[in-house]
Amino acid sequence: MSSETGTSTSGDEAWEPNPNPIPKPPEDQLAALALSEADSHANGVAHGSAEGNNHQEIENEEEEVRANSVAPGLAEVEEASEGLPRGGIGGGIVWARTNSELEVDGPSSPSSSGYAGERGSSSASSGAGSGVDEILEVRNDEIADGFSDSQTPWVPGKRHVDEDDASISWRKRKKHFFILSHSGKPIYSRYGDEHKLAGFSATLQAIISFVENGGDHVKLVRAGKHQVIFLVKGPIYLVCISCTEEPYESLRVQLELIYGQMLLILTKSVNRCFEKNPKFDMTPLLGGTDIVFSSLIHSFSWNPATFLHAYTCLPLAYATRQAAGAILHDVADSGVLFTILMCKHKVISLVGAQKASLHPDDMLLLSNFVMASESFRQVDTYLMLLTTSSDAFYHLKDCRIRIESVLLKSSVLSEIQRSTVDGGMRVEELPLDPLPRSGSFSPHLGQHTVPTDSPDRFREPYIGVGGPAGLWHFIYRSIFLDQYVSSEFSPPISSPRQQKRLYRAYQKLYASMHDKGIGPHKTQFRRDENYVLLCWVTQDFELYAAFDPLADKALAIKTCNRVCQWVKDVENEIFLLGASPFSW
Amino acid sequence: MGLSSATTTAATPEGVQLCIFDLRRGQNEGQELDKIIFFFPADLPFSAQFSVIGLSEGLIAFTRIFSPEAACDAIEAERHSHVFYEAEPDIWMVMVVEKNKEFEPIWRSDALRKVLKEVHSLFVMFHGSIRALLDKDPGGGLTRSHLYHFIMDYLGDFLVGKKLLLPSFRDSLKERGTVQMLTVGREAAIEVQSLVRVLESCAGNMPCHSLVLFQDLLVSTTLSPDDTVNLFAYAVLRLTPRALSSGVSSWSYLRKGATSHVSSSSSFACPGSIPEQLHGSLGDKSSQVVRPLQPDKWSKGKDGFLVSDIWGADTSTGTSATPTVFLHQTEERMYLCAHQHKSLTLIFLLPVSSVLKGDQGVSAVKQQVLENVSLKLLKVEEKLSKGWGGENAYHVSGYRYLLADGDRNVSRASPPGKVTTLTKGSLLALSKVREEVDLEKSRAKSDNAGHEKELEISIRAKNNAWVIARVTRGKELYMVLEKANETLLYASDAVEKFSNRYRTFPSMLQLVAHYMNFRFAFLGSLVITMR
Repeated sequence: MSSETGTSTSGDEAWEPNPNPIPKPPEDQLAALALSEADSHANGVAHGSAEGNNHQEIENEEEEVRANSVAPGLAEVEEASEGLPRGGIGGGIVWARTNSELEVDGPSSPSSSGYAGERGSSSASSGAGSGVDEILEVRNDEIADGFSDSQTPWVPGKRHVDEDDASISWRKRKKHFFILSHSGKPIYSRYGDEHKLAGFSATLQAIISFVENGGDHVKLVRAGKHQVIFLVKGPIYLVCISCTEEPYESLRVQLELIYGQMLLILTKSVNRCFEKNPKFDMTPLLGGTDIVFSSLIHSFSWNPATFLHAYTCLPLAYATRQAAGAILHDVADSGVLFTILMCKHKVISLVGAQKASLHPDDMLLLSNFVMASESFRQVDTYLMLLTTSSDAFYHLKDCRIRIESVLLKSSVLSEIQRSTVDGGMRVEELPLDPLPRSGSFSPHLGQHTVPTDSPDRFREPYIGVGGPAGLWHFIYRSIFLDQYVSSEFSPPISSPRQQKRLYRAYQKLYASMHDKGIGPHKTQFRRDENYVLLCWVTQDFELYAAFDPLADKALAIKTCNRVCQWVKDVENEIFLLGASPFSW
Repeated sequence: MGLSSATTTAATPEGVQLCIFDLRRGQNEGQELDKIIFFFPADLPFSAQFSVIGLSEGLIAFTRIFSPEAACDAIEAERHSHVFYEAEPDIWMVMVVEKNKEFEPIWRSDALRKVLKEVHSLFVMFHGSIRALLDKDPGGGLTRSHLYHFIMDYLGDFLVGKKLLLPSFRDSLKERGTVQMLTVGREAAIEVQSLVRVLESCAGNMPCHSLVLFQDLLVSTTLSPDDTVNLFAYAVLRLTPRALSSGVSSWSYLRKGATSHVSSSSSFACPGSIPEQLHGSLGDKSSQVVRPLQPDKWSKGKDGFLVSDIWGADTSTGTSATPTVFLHQTEERMYLCAHQHKSLTLIFLLPVSSVLKGDQGVSAVKQQVLENVSLKLLKVEEKLSKGWGGENAYHVSGYRYLLADGDRNVSRASPPGKVTTLTKGSLLALSKVREEVDLEKSRAKSDNAGHEKELEISIRAKNNAWVIARVTRGKELYMVLEKANETLLYASDAVEKFSNRYRTFPSMLQLVAHYMNFRFAFLGSLVITMR
């Protein structure tokens, strides 16, 4: 999707680089995250209070808090910055660059001025003549060019700050997200200036508390095509107002994720701030994090992980992933809770301490947080080290250096780059018959495999209209592994708009299959003017497949069986086996 | 209708509130009470009533910020569902129902909204629009009194014991606001047609509309679809042979609580229970209030005409006054006459403006009808009775289904007795699927009027039942197959077979060809389009 990569078919297509910075304290350019073993629930990464030196600061000194809240300094996220994949396979990985350069750049970087400035000024509107704005413009142009097909490209960061609830344009936005405090103070709004939305925010608070006074809790209000979804999390209220056709359950999960993202940035100690002072103003604490939220919200329209509650892996030869895992394992015994090597939103390898669990939603929030930050914008591959120990910063740095040096010597990074160029499953390549398990991989999955004109591969006779039987796309989710694999988008699902529509259709199908009261159902067939959708939910896996709306039912069913077989045949390459974050 | 019984049952059925309020009234502070034109339960403290109306009003205003063309439809809270219906501009009906502890999707808001819609349509048919009443009655006392009696009489039919049994997931294979048709053979159809012609001729030069029912099923109509639905609903509630002998249980959805309503509704809807302190003027005027839905007020006269003293007596003749109704389509006021022979109910409407000398004129037409129609009536009744397969006539074994045509307001479904064999799990799953389809339909509607939603959903639920929905050109088919094979192809096959079976129903396709007005010839065409 991104215009810079002409090759365009990697699974990362939908991801846009973030031209907008996440302001950070200059002395701490390495984005750092805290994670506690005890508190990491489905709700997001919760921060243990153990040593809690940061909390003190949160309560005392706002200016300090900003520095520390964004980067509580407990863990380290390392980047493996990689040249854009234009040809140069092999030498593009520059590891050593990062630290010193960034430290030098730091103080003068526009991101830090964004940080120090007023809330909202970090967005594109600041216009302070810093280099960032120019970069932003250039990028936007590039992106816009890439989107010849009518959809407005996603621009990271907050937009339309000049609007408020009196603006017609604001009222017509398709999807609003609000975070407010239980006293009705605005904390975050996707569109418009929070300060100008104080009155509106108070109205939302009034609705929630009015219903609560009646001994009930409001969940949803419907009005024509609009839905208003409410989520109460202690002193934090979250509201979504949407006229997208997403089901209530999906929108509610999105609010949960936004709350999780907020906790990931601020830790649960915000609750204590509200205990002390119900009228506590939280906005300054989140100063400059607009971009993290906007990138999360953007992922609600392209990243299946947001509703599947599973993560996805970069396709790699089994041996390569094993090698990566072994390298990460090197530091596993030294107090590091999790070591995750990722390529954009896809996992390369993951090593966790015994009994530690990391929910796929947490991984989503972590990678979103990392990728939203300026320093990682141009980076594909990065390393996350998580620990609960608050004074392990230098230790983590050592770990990072150790892993980095081994990785650079191995072939892992070049394999990764290869995979980002042409990895992934393509529906046109769906094998006609189940493969004998003899190690003949898909040419696009493994690195060193049979040539593409392999005789036992189904050669697509109607290139450009999807796979056999009108198969357009599929997502396969392994229940035990908490992982999913999604086929690459290929025509006719080629434009961002079509991809988003398919994403929404899957989302609806998922919600319909997993109804809280009566689900999960076992099978669903659904035909409308856009697709034939088929869904299987079994004990082991879930399959979601999209076909041409005129597809034959019997053939579609057969094709789904073949997809399942195909996935099983190549599971070594598309999944991270034996490393489920739950069972490590 | 003793006051004593009223006090014992005065405790309102748990968990249901229904209110009507007018946003144009009570604008000033201190006058908020004026907004409320109906509230059930009436004995709820004002503070609680205001709380419901305040929230509703607040959310109507709030949602208009984003959705000015369609304000609040529903509120889902943890313990309650609130269903909104803007019956007339600025006149809102809101129903609040309690959820069960398991938070199962027991309510489908469209089904509840259809209850609101039905009671409002019936009210308008007899009394004219609420707005018109309020315009004539600025104090609102008379309007409140009319609404109170009408809605309480209506709700009485839902009362089982002390509980209001509103349509829930168990009623997912029913469609309120539709007409159920009798399938008739070609010969019978011709007979019916000629009966209707003779009936029309009895009215002389006056335009005369008619509705013929056999049991609780519609045989013929010359009214518009909307008026047919309203009059059909009223007939099934109060006029058909089953309604007249109201102790008998009925298989029609319209008579849900019928088994117990004689005993219970009398106390439930007792005028004595009107809290007169609520609306001061209400008490004095209640004597003038006509209660068309008052139970057990209709009876069959010796001449076969149905009579009721609901509308008072004609002082000159001492006979009961003829009821009148408003036609939705023409906004014309019509005299309503009903004649019954065994299972056959013949309803005809005469324009009030055309009948000279009022009730006397009506009597003259009635006399004509007796003289000219009686014989034909006997013949038609006999013919229809012979062809009538009984309550389970439209049962298709192995299937539980609902076919509905939203454009023509017609539906046919598995007999309720058969639907009760379904498990709770299947019915809940079906209710949920219907909710999804409701949403899709309303979106398609607001997107562009010309484009009808096409949708097919087949779900194999946790309990292994197949739950199927198909929407094609405004027609809907819902189906549950419980003892079915597990493959999707089996389920689709079963749907195909069902459609075939429908085709072979006696004269189903002849019905298409010969049905008078061709208005309700939908079932055959539905089968064709579904295939």
